Amino acid sequence: MTATFGDFLHPAGQHIAAAVAFRGDLPDDVRCVAVRELGRLVFALAGCFDDLPLPHDLDPAAHRPPSLDTQAVAGARIALRRAARSLRHRTTTTEDAHPVVRHLSAAADHLAAGRDLLQTHFATAPSGARTGTSYWAPAITSRPMTAALLGEIAEHARTLAPWASQLTMTGPIGSGMPAPERRILHSAIGGLWITAAAVEAAQRRHPSSDDARRLLAAIPSSFPPPRRPPGDGEPVTQLCEGIAITAERLRHAALAPARRSPPAMSASWRRGALASAITSHASEIILRTLAERASQLGTDPGIRARLHTAADAMSLAWPAWRGVACEWDILSTGAHAGSGRTAAAAEDHQAVRTTAGLGRLYLPTRLMPEGYDIPYRYTRASGPRTDALLAMYVTATSVSALVTEVLDDLAAAIDAPSTVLGARRNFENPQPGPRRHEPDRRAEPAAEPGAPPQAAQIERVLHSLQITESAMLLRAAAIDQAGSDLLAEASAKSRSRDSLTASPAQPVRQARARAVRVASDDLPRHMPNRDQQPSRHDQRTPALPATATPARPTTTLSRTGNSRSR
Amino acid sequence: MREIVEIGTRLRDAAVLPDLLAASFDAFEIIRMLARSCDHRAPELFAAFMTTADAAVDGREAVTAAPALPAGGSTARASMPAADAGTDEITASLAALGALLHDRLTHSAALAAAPGDQFACAQAADAARRIHDLMARGDDDRDIR
Repeated sequence: MTATFGDFLHPAGQHIAAAVAFRGDLPDDVRCVAVRELGRLVFALAGCFDDLPLPHDLDPAAHRPPSLDTQAVAGARIALRRAARSLRHRTTTTEDAHPVVRHLSAAADHLAAGRDLLQTHFATAPSGARTGTSYWAPAITSRPMTAALLGEIAEHARTLAPWASQLTMTGPIGSGMPAPERRILHSAIGGLWITAAAVEAAQRRHPSSDDARRLLAAIPSSFPPPRRPPGDGEPVTQLCEGIAITAERLRHAALAPARRSPPAMSASWRRGALASAITSHASEIILRTLAERASQLGTDPGIRARLHTAADAMSLAWPAWRGVACEWDILSTGAHAGSGRTAAAAEDHQAVRTTAGLGRLYLPTRLMPEGYDIPYRYTRASGPRTDALLAMYVTATSVSALVTEVLDDLAAAIDAPSTVLGARRNFENPQPGPRRHEPDRRAEPAAEPGAPPQAAQIERVLHSLQITESAMLLRAAAIDQAGSDLLAEASAKSRSRDSLTASPAQPVRQARARAVRVASDDLPRHMPNRDQQPSRHDQRTPALPATATPARPTTTLSRTGNSRSR
Repeated sequence: MREIVEIGTRLRDAAVLPDLLAASFDAFEIIRMLARSCDHRAPELFAAFMTTADAAVDGREAVTAAPALPAGGSTARASMPAADAGTDEITASLAALGALLHDRLTHSAALAAAPGDQFACAQAADAARRIHDLMARGDDDRDIR
């Protein structure tokens, strides 16, 4: 089982609560050790705080001075850092230590381990810049997740500060801590109070959501789980666990840089398209089978509808990826692969676009029509041909985004273990409202006024152009405000219209189904016509018939399903 | 599938490496085109046909890199299989052609003088073996011919 951040965060909170709940005076020697453990704990809290991007860091393009909240939180970070520095935090706690000491020590250990877990999603470049290395990284650094973690830190600070204050006041007069140490502790307590107050004030205006806190606890470590090969006679629950483990391993493998080694770029992209086509095709069969079974079992109509919508969306995905694979039938990066680093840094589509832009896509001259006398084995692919490939990628990517959204919706409806992945994807996107694919804007509820994607757009553009003239900035702000008001009004009208026309029972299903239909209209049913650079290949790569959606499965994939490995 | 019969004859008749490589290039192209035209015929064989087409591209690319491949255009043509052609018939033909390619290319890899040709033939033979494995029936215990 993969460890999650919650495995450390929750016990840390419980240990802190247990430590401060202790009633009675602490012996002098215990008090000194407790202060040192408190130091470790504050050090761990300060470390977590240091890792967080402040709100202003999240939007460096804003070109605005940080807000008062941001300044206060930044001040709190410094205060907590100073508090951690002031307290001595080198100590070794034995098993027979006082319960308060043991609880503080355990809380510090858990927080440090939790911080380490979060760090597995990032790597630090030689320049010192921290970059995400996992699918979770964008969600972890998103504003809602940052706010949630900030809230946790503030909560701990708020709990510890009064307890630590009490620590300095209890005990016989003239005994216990020396005066200098007492002053240091007072200073540290001040840091804790500042942290708690600043974060609380900031979060009063922008409170962290329950969803963000739940997702924070669900962040897994960024290590692939060990392989679990299928065994004979496994029960369904174990098979399901195995599937989840394999999927997680695949997510890790997909990010492995070795996948895009320069000499094998076009082959890698071709394989990626092949794998996507096959998995989408198999997924459609699975979803249709599940939908049929759900009907037989009389499952909730909402779930049945979502299964059908997901299957319909999947029936668009595999032809799109098949189209990409067909384009790669003839194109190649040959022996002239581009920079591997560039390719590794980007998604396939972007890397292919870059490679095409550099004129490094080729096709075998033997496939050119007779009359082309080219004394090389490969010739450069023409613009229309590479455009066709890129167009297929756009379609495939767009449909895949839709499929992901529909499956996330289905997973949430049936409370599947993968629900957390959908939640994570939601947090990756900085703006509320529709995610990557927006085939039918009217189908989605509009963003709330005050935070629409378009808000403050004009003003930002002016800032990005280094415009500082206050009159122009004011006009931009007025335009943005007017736009925002218009959107709010339109949203309200749209919502009231939808509420009249849509059945309230299944609004999500209808929206998704509409999106699938619109996407279906966009999907080319035939291979692009590449007549501007003819090759004999063009007449020979067959288009997918318009009725190519597979019929209901009749047999298993026996010819390719021989391998037992996951 | 007249093309498969014709290309089989060309592969068997190729007496020198350049001829064999040219015939192999065309054979892989025919396999690719046929696999692509059939991948929607039966949902249970979609993955097999898609992967076969991919292996055919691998084989063709390997042959393209062989120094002994003569210049000139490909003569490969593949007509769409007749609507009434059975899937079993198509897969059996492709499996047989894959087996023949594997046999001839493996033999050539052993005889080729230039390391580039040896490597290209070995790579292409590996792709041909995959095609055979994908298209042959599960109970097909025939040796690769």
